[in-house]
Amino acid sequence: MSTSSASSRRSSASVQILSGAVGRYVSMLVLALVIFGIIIWISGRNPIVSYRELFGSTLGSWRGFSEVLVAMTPMLLTALAVAIPSRIGLINVGGEGQLYMGAAAATWGALTFSEAPAWILLPLMAALGMLGGALWALVPGLLRATGLVNETITTLLLNAVAPLLVAFLVFGSWHSPMDTNRTPTFVEAARLPTLPGTRIDLGLLIGILLLAAFWLFMRYTRWGLEMRAIGGNPEAAQRNGVPVKIYIVAVLCVGGAIAGMAGMSQVSGYYGVLLTGFSRGIGFLGFLISWLSFGNPVGIFLTSFMVAVIITGGSMLQLTTALPYAVINILLAMALFVVLAGINIFPRRSTG
Amino acid sequence: MLRKPLYSLFGVLIVLSLLLAACGTAETPTDAPAEPTAPAEEPMEEEPTEAPVAEEPMEEGPCLIIGALHGGPINDAGYNQAMHESVAAIGENIDCVEIIEAENVPEEAGAITTIENMISEGAGMIIATAFNHQYPALELAGKYPDVIFEHAGGWEMSGNFANFFGEPPEAWYLMGVAAGQMTETDKLGFVAAFPIGWTLTFANAFHLGAQSVNPDVETTVSYTFNWADSAKEADATNALINQGIDVVTMHVDSPATVVSTAESRGAYSVGFQSTHAQEFAPEYWISGTGYTLGDTLTWLAGNVIDGSWEPIFLRCGLWDGCMDMAPFGPRVPQEVQDEVMTVSSALESGELVVFTGPVYDQEGNVVVAEGEVLGPDLMSAVDWLAQGMIGSPQ
Amino acid sequence: MTGLAILGVLSSALFSGASLLYATLGETINQRAGIVNLGLEGVLLISGATGIAVTSLTGNPYLGILAAVIAGGLTNIILAFLVVTRRGNQLASGLALMFFGFGVSALIGRAFVGLKINGLPRIVVPGLSNLPTRYVSLLQFDILIYLAIPVAVFVWWLLFRTRWGLGVRAVGENSDTAFASGRNPHWIKYQALIAGGMLAGLGAAHLTIAYTLNWSEFMTGGRGFIAIALVIFSKWNPIRAIAGALLFSGAVAFQLLLQASGVNVSPFLLDTLPYLLTILVLMLWGGSRKYAAPASLGRVYMGTE
Repeated sequence: MSTSSASSRRSSASVQILSGAVGRYVSMLVLALVIFGIIIWISGRNPIVSYRELFGSTLGSWRGFSEVLVAMTPMLLTALAVAIPSRIGLINVGGEGQLYMGAAAATWGALTFSEAPAWILLPLMAALGMLGGALWALVPGLLRATGLVNETITTLLLNAVAPLLVAFLVFGSWHSPMDTNRTPTFVEAARLPTLPGTRIDLGLLIGILLLAAFWLFMRYTRWGLEMRAIGGNPEAAQRNGVPVKIYIVAVLCVGGAIAGMAGMSQVSGYYGVLLTGFSRGIGFLGFLISWLSFGNPVGIFLTSFMVAVIITGGSMLQLTTALPYAVINILLAMALFVVLAGINIFPRRSTG
Repeated sequence: MLRKPLYSLFGVLIVLSLLLAACGTAETPTDAPAEPTAPAEEPMEEEPTEAPVAEEPMEEGPCLIIGALHGGPINDAGYNQAMHESVAAIGENIDCVEIIEAENVPEEAGAITTIENMISEGAGMIIATAFNHQYPALELAGKYPDVIFEHAGGWEMSGNFANFFGEPPEAWYLMGVAAGQMTETDKLGFVAAFPIGWTLTFANAFHLGAQSVNPDVETTVSYTFNWADSAKEADATNALINQGIDVVTMHVDSPATVVSTAESRGAYSVGFQSTHAQEFAPEYWISGTGYTLGDTLTWLAGNVIDGSWEPIFLRCGLWDGCMDMAPFGPRVPQEVQDEVMTVSSALESGELVVFTGPVYDQEGNVVVAEGEVLGPDLMSAVDWLAQGMIGSPQ
Repeated sequence: MTGLAILGVLSSALFSGASLLYATLGETINQRAGIVNLGLEGVLLISGATGIAVTSLTGNPYLGILAAVIAGGLTNIILAFLVVTRRGNQLASGLALMFFGFGVSALIGRAFVGLKINGLPRIVVPGLSNLPTRYVSLLQFDILIYLAIPVAVFVWWLLFRTRWGLGVRAVGENSDTAFASGRNPHWIKYQALIAGGMLAGLGAAHLTIAYTLNWSEFMTGGRGFIAIALVIFSKWNPIRAIAGALLFSGAVAFQLLLQASGVNVSPFLLDTLPYLLTILVLMLWGGSRKYAAPASLGRVYMGTE
């Protein structure tokens, strides 16, 4: 169906995007490392030693590397939760909230059906998690489809409501007898299986599979084509018979479902319990990762990895440099600033 | 084919990072401990033998590396600082011990990373001071049977996992006695984090102590649902004072905010967690208690070093040196101070026991029967508030 | 519920809400210029930490307030650079700024955790000290609280009655037409962001130097996002923001009052009200032209700006 000129145009655009991406990643890392190194030095520590510790603890040992993968798992999913709606021009900043609601729904399943065997319980929890996240994205989707309120605002606001609801549930009827800010520890059957010897749970595999599925879907299915059409020009797509409103609601809900899945994998895999306030910005990091990679699945994978290295390494940095753990956020922010300041090469439209 | 530049670049970057990593792991990462807990060179218990054996076994490395983790900042003038000072005391008392400390360690699974990092740095003993670190520590205790784990304030025990804590309820009772006499409006306030058993026990003890000297007294409990949210603590304190309460106390990580706010409103305050709290209320301070577990932890560490450590459920109180009572504030009259000391002696001698029946809850039901006593093992499972208290135990 | 009790709730709301109001006023100016600052939380944290640091080091709370105000303005310059000069994506830049704020504030504030500072003194208006003490103690406000409402009115006047405000709003509607009519949109946006940052700094200063009187990591507890919600809830109008701030902040005291009267409402559900009310307001008045968002802000939300 495509002529040779169209495909060569596509490939040259891809080259441009890729080389731009390469330049982006390089400058992101180098400049950020330099600036953060200066900050470490000002605080009276040796930057070289600190960086050695950071990379040594994360990439230098199997345990450290596995921890990076553990940290990466939810971010893959929350980034995907932003990337999918972004293909039709929707902005989903609500990953945080959808994550919490997915976690809450999955927890309900774990607590209510604790007698069930794992092969029933886990898929049930996954389904519940996705349902919880999707429901949380439903109202923003409807409001946007009917033209009442932009999904950017609604998802942002609902972000703040979700952890409050979770707290209400946990402190209300769900808490374990001795500890009021957590539920009882999940039964074995409700825990996602982990790779032996590590804490890497099935969520990682699910994330990678979903990324691949996303890529295939957008490229090879009719719905993917229609989504790209909407992303390029909504009015034209509407005129050509694409049911834009339905896509808006459906796609936003899919995004929510995936973020909800991230929530489920966090409580079922990583924590094994529902804690109030368990997410320190995973949803927002997902937004940033998706944005940095222009919603490209490979980019999401690589960027999540980089961010995970930074975050996991920060934990070791605290022990060796006595800098507060939160300081690692500066490195993260520096990397982001560098990319944000540098990007004016590709206007947003060409990537949808 | 178009992806090659990207992949090769990442290949280069990863190789670079691995090289850095390899250099990193080549050096033994037992560099300077995170916190400058280097013991001030005080005269040790042993006489310094300035004999030709001058070279201490420091060159062989420390006799024990202790990893301590705190849920909050170690200079919070509250629980974390008290725990930090107790841990630091080990280093002061035992020369060859090296201490690695981590503060603001996140709860649950996040703590696992930190503890494992500490163990990879050679820690042979882990002291987990935050309430919520119990389960991650327990899980790792199963994974590392050669490392000793001590947790503050929990209840789980295993072959290499035990816990230790002070005995606050009696101290709270004494504070209540003081507060009950100092209040002019007969209204006391208690800012709490979570309605867990220990918190309710403390609040109950406080109230009962106040009630024993002032039967009309009323204690209102307000929850912030956060161990350390200073804005909420200020909110709660202000709201309590606006209701006419003139003595405020708390069970949150740091007393600083509650005490400062009370002081700025001209209300009395009673401190908890750390006796440093007094600095925040030079004028309206009544008294306070804090944890001083330095000697206890030193004893435990000593046991680990000489191999005699056994898992015990360690609790020690005011009169064992594990908890300390702060000096009275300038506005506390002598009669009140004397009364408190009298009650203190009675508690110490066992003549008076907190939570001796009959004790009634808010609806008037008997929760501790006449002639019975609420034992320490049940205190962490308390789910009621005593009669005369306002607030929900849920 | 007695009048005294209600007055108590109002007093608590004022105490707690002053910082929120300042932050909201700052964000209102930003958004009127067409820029949404998702990193407001970070700005508040940095300003708060700076304020505490300077107050602790100099012993003078007024210097601390000044430092916080300056810090807020400077931090917003980062956002201005990214968004205005480099044309970066506003949402992403804001979030990056938020993470930046987490880190920098932790770094600055670390040495000052748990330290006592000379907080802002509380003042009672002279004439009022004749009232019974119960009432007087409710009205012991510090100077920033007394100034909160006047500043809100000032910001309203600034935006709606001055040429500068007209410029800001024009840029917020459409930078190109503003440019065509002889204005410099970039410079105006910078000014708006700096002013907004300074007001945010003032709010953070009140929170740390006058209210909690100490510093701890992440202590703003989401106030940045509450402020953003409040800006939308008050339809970008500083006067309405006053009512909104009081409404949003009175929750804790109100909940305590209810509890004392025997009614137990979950504080969490109460805390969701600001956000749910904002969504409701948007749904009901979203289409109305009078209450519409500044147009270029709308384009940010649509992703086309």
